[in-house]
Amino acid sequence: MMQKLWQKRPKLAYSKDVLDIVQFGSSAEEGKNPNDLDIAVIFNKIPLKEQLNQAQEIKKQLETASEIPIHINSFDLYSLFDNSNFAKENILFYGKSIIYGDDFSKRFALSSKIQIYYSLEKLRKKDKIRFNYMLNGKGGEYGLLIKYAGELLKPGLIEIAPEFENIFVNAIKEFKVEFKIKRVIIA
Amino acid sequence: MNKEEILIKSGKEYFYSGNDEFSKGRYNSAVVLYFKSLVSFSDLYVLQKTGNTPSSHNERFKITKEKFSEVYNLLDKDFPFYQSSYVQIMGRELAEVIKDDAKTMAEKTKTGL
Repeated sequence: MMQKLWQKRPKLAYSKDVLDIVQFGSSAEEGKNPNDLDIAVIFNKIPLKEQLNQAQEIKKQLETASEIPIHINSFDLYSLFDNSNFAKENILFYGKSIIYGDDFSKRFALSSKIQIYYSLEKLRKKDKIRFNYMLNGKGGEYGLLIKYAGELLKPGLIEIAPEFENIFVNAIKEFKVEFKIKRVIIA
Repeated sequence: MNKEEILIKSGKEYFYSGNDEFSKGRYNSAVVLYFKSLVSFSDLYVLQKTGNTPSSHNERFKITKEKFSEVYNLLDKDFPFYQSSYVQIMGRELAEVIKDDAKTMAEKTKTGL
Protein backbone atom coordinates (compact mmCIF):
# COMPACT_ATOMS: atom_id res chain seq x y z
CA MET A 1 0.00 0.00 0.00
CA MET A 2 1.56 3.29 -1.08
CA GLN A 3 1.70 5.93 1.61
CA LYS A 4 -0.59 8.84 0.89
CA LEU A 5 0.36 12.46 1.31
CA TRP A 6 -2.08 12.85 4.20
CA GLN A 7 -0.39 9.92 5.92
CA LYS A 8 3.06 11.41 5.41
CA ARG A 9 1.85 14.70 6.98
CA PRO A 10 4.54 16.88 5.39
CA LYS A 11 5.60 19.87 7.48
CA LEU A 12 3.93 22.91 5.99
CA ALA A 13 4.10 26.59 6.78
CA TYR A 14 0.66 28.19 6.80
CA SER A 15 -1.08 31.04 8.56
CA LYS A 16 -3.63 30.93 11.37
CA ASP A 17 -6.28 31.69 8.73
CA VAL A 18 -6.01 28.07 7.54
CA LEU A 19 -8.49 25.74 9.22
CA ASP A 20 -7.37 22.63 7.41
CA ILE A 21 -5.61 21.30 4.32
CA VAL A 22 -7.53 18.38 2.87
CA GLN A 23 -6.56 15.72 0.35
CA PHE A 24 -9.58 14.43 -1.51
CA GLY A 25 -10.60 12.75 -4.76
CA SER A 26 -9.05 9.64 -6.25
CA SER A 27 -5.62 10.36 -4.76
CA ALA A 28 -7.08 9.85 -1.27
CA GLU A 29 -8.54 6.46 -2.20
CA GLU A 30 -6.75 3.15 -2.19
CA GLY A 31 -6.58 1.12 -5.38
CA LYS A 32 -6.70 4.08 -7.78
CA ASN A 33 -4.03 5.63 -9.96
CA PRO A 34 -4.70 9.36 -9.96
CA ASN A 35 -3.19 11.74 -12.50
CA ASP A 36 -3.15 14.59 -10.04
CA LEU A 37 -3.64 15.26 -6.39
CA ASP A 38 -6.67 17.28 -5.31
CA ILE A 39 -6.18 19.53 -2.31
CA ALA A 40 -8.72 21.79 -0.62
CA VAL A 41 -7.42 24.50 1.66
CA ILE A 42 -10.14 25.52 4.11
CA PHE A 43 -9.82 29.08 5.41
CA ASN A 44 -11.44 31.27 7.99
CA LYS A 45 -13.54 34.01 6.41
CA ILE A 46 -10.84 36.11 4.74
CA PRO A 47 -10.84 37.88 1.36
CA LEU A 48 -10.70 35.56 -1.65
CA LYS A 49 -7.56 37.24 -2.97
CA GLU A 50 -5.80 36.41 0.29
CA GLN A 51 -7.10 32.83 0.19
CA LEU A 52 -5.77 32.29 -3.30
CA ASN A 53 -2.37 33.76 -2.53
CA GLN A 54 -1.98 31.65 0.60
CA ALA A 55 -3.22 28.52 -1.19
CA GLN A 56 -0.62 29.11 -3.88
CA GLU A 57 2.14 29.17 -1.26
CA ILE A 58 0.84 25.93 0.24
CA LYS A 59 0.70 24.38 -3.22
CA LYS A 60 4.38 25.16 -3.77
CA GLN A 61 5.28 23.38 -0.55
CA LEU A 62 3.11 20.37 -1.36
CA GLU A 63 4.67 20.06 -4.81
CA THR A 64 7.98 19.22 -3.19
CA ALA A 65 6.34 16.31 -1.36
CA SER A 66 4.31 14.93 -4.25
CA GLU A 67 5.29 13.01 -7.37
CA ILE A 68 2.15 14.01 -9.25
CA PRO A 69 0.77 17.49 -10.04
CA ILE A 70 -1.16 19.28 -7.31
CA HIS A 71 -4.57 20.73 -8.09
CA ILE A 72 -5.47 23.17 -5.34
CA ASN A 73 -8.85 24.66 -4.37
CA SER A 74 -9.50 27.18 -1.65
CA PHE A 75 -12.67 27.56 0.38
CA ASP A 76 -14.00 29.15 3.51
CA LEU A 77 -16.73 27.31 5.37
CA TYR A 78 -19.42 29.23 3.47
CA SER A 79 -18.09 28.45 0.01
CA LEU A 80 -17.24 24.87 1.01
CA PHE A 81 -20.88 24.10 1.75
CA ASP A 82 -22.32 26.30 -0.98
CA ASN A 83 -24.64 24.56 -3.44
CA SER A 84 -22.42 25.58 -6.34
CA ASN A 85 -19.47 23.63 -4.91
CA PHE A 86 -19.81 20.25 -6.62
CA ALA A 87 -16.79 18.92 -4.73
CA LYS A 88 -18.26 19.40 -1.25
CA GLU A 89 -19.49 15.81 -0.76
CA ASN A 90 -16.17 14.46 -1.94
CA ILE A 91 -14.23 16.74 0.40
CA LEU A 92 -16.41 16.08 3.41
CA PHE A 93 -16.88 12.36 2.82
CA TYR A 94 -13.55 11.20 1.42
CA GLY A 95 -11.31 14.08 2.51
CA LYS A 96 -8.24 13.44 4.60
CA SER A 97 -6.65 16.16 6.68
CA ILE A 98 -2.99 16.66 5.86
CA ILE A 99 -2.60 18.73 9.02
CA TYR A 100 -4.13 16.20 11.41
CA GLY A 101 -3.48 12.99 9.44
CA ASP A 102 -7.08 11.87 9.82
CA ASP A 103 -10.55 12.09 8.29
CA PHE A 104 -11.56 15.68 7.57
CA SER A 105 -15.12 14.83 8.70
CA LYS A 106 -13.76 14.31 12.22
CA ARG A 107 -13.17 18.06 12.43
CA PHE A 108 -16.95 18.31 12.62
CA ALA A 109 -17.24 15.35 15.04
CA LEU A 110 -18.60 13.24 12.17
CA SER A 111 -17.50 9.88 10.85
CA SER A 112 -17.93 8.88 7.22
CA LYS A 113 -18.45 5.23 6.32
CA ILE A 114 -19.29 3.09 3.33
CA GLN A 115 -21.88 0.41 3.87
CA ILE A 116 -22.00 -2.36 1.28
CA TYR A 117 -25.11 -4.53 1.13
CA TYR A 118 -24.68 -7.76 -0.80
CA SER A 119 -26.57 -10.94 -1.44
CA LEU A 120 -24.92 -14.32 -1.93
CA GLU A 121 -28.21 -16.06 -2.73
CA LYS A 122 -27.42 -16.69 -6.37
CA LEU A 123 -23.90 -17.97 -5.74
CA ARG A 124 -22.95 -21.62 -5.79
CA LYS A 125 -21.90 -23.07 -2.44
CA LYS A 126 -18.19 -23.14 -3.32
CA ASP A 127 -18.32 -19.48 -4.41
CA LYS A 128 -20.06 -18.53 -1.17
CA ILE A 129 -17.14 -20.13 0.66
CA ARG A 130 -14.62 -18.28 -1.55
CA PHE A 131 -16.47 -15.03 -0.90
CA ASN A 132 -16.25 -15.67 2.82
CA TYR A 133 -12.51 -16.32 2.52
CA MET A 134 -12.12 -13.09 0.58
CA LEU A 135 -13.72 -11.14 3.42
CA ASN A 136 -12.49 -13.06 6.45
CA GLY A 137 -9.31 -14.75 5.29
CA LYS A 138 -8.19 -18.36 5.23
CA GLY A 139 -5.41 -20.39 6.80
CA GLY A 140 -3.76 -17.51 8.62
CA GLU A 141 -4.03 -15.19 5.61
CA TYR A 142 -5.91 -12.00 6.35
CA GLY A 143 -9.14 -11.26 4.55
CA LEU A 144 -10.09 -7.78 3.39
CA LEU A 145 -12.05 -7.01 6.56
CA ILE A 146 -9.04 -7.40 8.82
CA LYS A 147 -6.62 -5.94 6.28
CA TYR A 148 -8.65 -2.75 5.85
CA ALA A 149 -10.31 -2.52 9.27
CA GLY A 150 -13.78 -3.24 7.94
CA GLU A 151 -16.63 -4.66 9.94
CA LEU A 152 -19.30 -7.23 9.22
CA LEU A 153 -22.37 -5.55 10.71
CA LYS A 154 -24.64 -8.47 9.91
CA PRO A 155 -24.75 -11.15 7.21
CA GLY A 156 -24.91 -9.32 3.90
CA LEU A 157 -23.74 -5.96 5.24
CA ILE A 158 -20.21 -4.70 5.74
CA GLU A 159 -19.01 -1.28 6.80
CA ILE A 160 -15.66 0.13 5.68
CA ALA A 161 -13.72 3.37 5.60
CA PRO A 162 -14.39 5.43 2.44
CA GLU A 163 -10.83 5.21 1.13
CA PHE A 164 -11.16 1.43 0.71
CA GLU A 165 -14.38 1.52 -1.32
CA ASN A 166 -12.63 0.74 -4.58
CA ILE A 167 -10.77 -2.26 -3.17
CA PHE A 168 -13.91 -3.86 -1.75
CA VAL A 169 -16.07 -3.07 -4.75
CA ASN A 170 -13.55 -4.59 -7.16
CA ALA A 171 -13.22 -7.71 -5.02
CA ILE A 172 -17.00 -8.13 -4.75
CA LYS A 173 -17.52 -7.55 -8.47
CA GLU A 174 -15.35 -10.57 -9.23
CA PHE A 175 -18.05 -12.76 -7.70
CA LYS A 176 -20.79 -11.21 -9.81
CA VAL A 177 -23.01 -10.80 -6.75
CA GLU A 178 -25.69 -8.18 -6.41
CA PHE A 179 -24.65 -5.35 -4.14
CA LYS A 180 -25.44 -1.75 -3.36
CA ILE A 181 -23.49 0.97 -1.64
CA LYS A 182 -24.64 3.48 0.93
CA ARG A 183 -22.46 6.40 1.95
CA VAL A 184 -23.29 7.36 5.51
CA ILE A 185 -22.10 10.09 7.82
CA ILE A 186 -22.42 9.18 11.48
CA ALA A 187 -22.58 11.84 14.19
CA MET B 1 0.86 44.25 -37.07
CA ASN B 2 3.71 42.54 -35.24
CA LYS B 3 3.42 40.05 -32.37
CA GLU B 4 3.83 42.73 -29.69
CA GLU B 5 1.09 44.91 -31.17
CA ILE B 6 -1.24 41.91 -31.49
CA LEU B 7 -0.70 40.91 -27.86
CA ILE B 8 -1.29 44.49 -26.64
CA LYS B 9 -4.45 44.78 -28.73
CA SER B 10 -5.86 41.42 -27.66
CA GLY B 11 -4.91 41.93 -24.00
CA LYS B 12 -6.70 45.28 -23.90
CA GLU B 13 -9.67 43.98 -25.85
CA TYR B 14 -10.19 41.05 -23.47
CA PHE B 15 -9.76 43.36 -20.49
CA TYR B 16 -12.35 45.88 -21.66
CA SER B 17 -14.74 43.11 -22.71
CA GLY B 18 -14.22 41.67 -19.21
CA ASN B 19 -15.22 45.04 -17.77
CA ASP B 20 -18.37 45.04 -19.91
CA GLU B 21 -19.39 41.59 -18.68
CA PHE B 22 -18.44 42.48 -15.11
CA SER B 23 -20.65 45.56 -15.18
CA LYS B 24 -23.58 43.37 -16.29
CA GLY B 25 -22.99 40.90 -13.45
CA ARG B 26 -21.91 38.14 -15.86
CA TYR B 27 -19.02 37.02 -13.73
CA ASN B 28 -18.28 33.68 -15.45
CA SER B 29 -17.73 35.53 -18.73
CA ALA B 30 -15.75 38.24 -16.95
CA VAL B 31 -13.46 35.63 -15.35
CA VAL B 32 -12.76 34.01 -18.73
CA LEU B 33 -12.07 37.35 -20.41
CA TYR B 34 -9.88 38.70 -17.62
CA PHE B 35 -7.91 35.46 -17.65
CA LYS B 36 -7.43 35.72 -21.43
CA SER B 37 -6.23 39.28 -20.90
CA LEU B 38 -3.82 38.03 -18.23
CA VAL B 39 -2.48 35.42 -20.68
CA SER B 40 -2.01 37.99 -23.46
CA PHE B 41 -0.07 40.31 -21.15
CA SER B 42 1.94 37.38 -19.77
CA ASP B 43 2.90 36.36 -23.31
CA LEU B 44 3.77 39.97 -24.04
CA TYR B 45 6.02 40.02 -20.97
CA VAL B 46 7.77 36.81 -22.11
CA LEU B 47 8.14 38.33 -25.59
CA GLN B 48 9.66 41.52 -24.19
CA LYS B 49 12.12 39.55 -22.06
CA THR B 50 13.06 36.69 -24.40
CA GLY B 51 12.02 37.70 -27.92
CA ASN B 52 9.73 34.65 -28.17
CA THR B 53 6.14 33.81 -27.30
CA PRO B 54 4.83 30.51 -25.96
CA SER B 55 2.62 28.56 -28.35
CA SER B 56 0.57 26.58 -25.84
CA HIS B 57 -0.50 26.64 -22.19
CA ASN B 58 2.03 23.89 -21.47
CA GLU B 59 4.89 25.88 -22.94
CA ARG B 60 3.65 29.06 -21.22
CA PHE B 61 3.69 27.34 -17.82
CA LYS B 62 7.08 25.76 -18.50
CA ILE B 63 8.79 29.00 -19.55
CA THR B 64 7.29 31.14 -16.81
CA LYS B 65 7.97 28.52 -14.13
CA GLU B 66 11.63 28.39 -15.17
CA LYS B 67 12.27 32.08 -15.80
CA PHE B 68 9.50 34.31 -14.44
CA SER B 69 8.14 32.78 -11.26
CA GLU B 70 6.04 35.83 -10.34
CA VAL B 71 4.20 35.50 -13.67
CA TYR B 72 3.91 31.74 -13.26
CA ASN B 73 2.32 32.23 -9.84
CA LEU B 74 -0.43 34.41 -11.27
CA LEU B 75 -1.15 32.05 -14.16
CA ASP B 76 -1.01 28.91 -12.06
CA LYS B 77 -3.25 30.45 -9.39
CA ASP B 78 -5.92 31.64 -11.81
CA PHE B 79 -5.87 28.91 -14.49
CA PRO B 80 -8.09 26.44 -12.54
CA PHE B 81 -10.90 29.01 -12.50
CA TYR B 82 -10.64 29.51 -16.24
CA GLN B 83 -10.78 25.74 -16.68
CA SER B 84 -13.78 25.28 -14.42
CA SER B 85 -15.68 28.33 -15.65
CA TYR B 86 -17.85 25.98 -17.76
CA VAL B 87 -19.17 24.09 -14.77
CA GLN B 88 -18.92 26.43 -11.80
CA ILE B 89 -20.61 29.63 -10.84
CA MET B 90 -18.02 32.38 -10.59
CA GLY B 91 -18.58 35.30 -8.26
CA ARG B 92 -17.83 39.01 -8.28
CA GLU B 93 -14.94 38.69 -5.84
CA LEU B 94 -13.15 36.12 -8.00
CA ALA B 95 -13.62 38.22 -11.13
CA GLU B 96 -12.06 41.17 -9.26
CA VAL B 97 -9.06 39.06 -8.25
CA ILE B 98 -8.35 37.97 -11.82
CA LYS B 99 -8.96 41.50 -13.09
CA ASP B 100 -6.29 42.74 -10.64
CA ASP B 101 -3.88 40.08 -11.88
CA ALA B 102 -4.45 41.12 -15.51
CA LYS B 103 -3.82 44.72 -14.44
CA THR B 104 -0.61 43.69 -12.69
CA MET B 105 0.69 42.08 -15.88
CA ALA B 106 -0.38 45.09 -17.96
CA GLU B 107 1.70 47.27 -15.64
CA LYS B 108 4.67 44.92 -15.86
CA THR B 109 4.55 45.18 -19.65
CA LYS B 110 4.05 48.96 -19.45
CA THR B 111 0.71 48.67 -21.22
CA GLY B 112 -1.73 51.45 -20.38
CA LEU B 113 -5.28 50.33 -19.65
